Amino acid sequence: MTVKVRFFARFRELLGTDILAEPESGTVFASLVKDIAKKNREGYDAIFDGNGNFREFVILMLNGKRLEASDAVTLTVTDGDEIAVFPPVAGG
Amino acid sequence: MKNRGIMIAIQHEDVDIGRLINDAKRAGTGAVVVFDGVVRDDDIREMELEAYEEVARRELEKIAEDATRLHDLFHVDIVHRIGRLSVGENILIIVVSAGHRPEAYAGSRYIIEEIKKGVPVWKKELRREGDRWVPGEHPHGSGKSK
Repeated sequence: MTVKVRFFARFRELLGTDILAEPESGTVFASLVKDIAKKNREGYDAIFDGNGNFREFVILMLNGKRLEASDAVTLTVTDGDEIAVFPPVAGG
Repeated sequence: MKNRGIMIAIQHEDVDIGRLINDAKRAGTGAVVVFDGVVRDDDIREMELEAYEEVARRELEKIAEDATRLHDLFHVDIVHRIGRLSVGENILIIVVSAGHRPEAYAGSRYIIEEIKKGVPVWKKELRREGDRWVPGEHPHGSGKSK
């Protein structure tokens, strides 16, 4: 299956964006993000704390809707999903 | 019944604010309020704006609809610019019309405060001594993992 992973702002600079991942069936949201983030240490550290948990300020979205970090560690992704991971917004 | 309207745009180009004001006027309009957020001269060269466009557009539409309902607005325009902007350029233009000034002011204020809370747009200041992402005013995230 294919899942699109989008990073924005500083996370995009560190990790890229519009990444087409091909996770195995049953892959959890948080694990997928972690695997991708591991390609860049600074990017990983920007998103995850020392225990491997999402940092509190990180915002997660699944198919355009916000997702709690507590759900991201159990929710499995499905084919065609779009994941977004980004820092606090600063528009206006 | 007034012909209520909402126009949302996320775009690189600037807009003609005078035209937006004229277009916002409906039968019964007594007040038009314009909010124009501009790139401030904080010793920066330029500002780079980025958006999660599909989500930002949908959230701006929701904010405009809520503002219209809560503050009895006749018309709402929200134009958020992205890309690279120079000092003094428009970043965000909000034009609202209503029957009276209290509704127009309140509706405009509601819209800008809601945008600041959560619409996925980011700003990067391009500075001589190094670039800097602007921290959000509402730095709450998705919370801790279990």
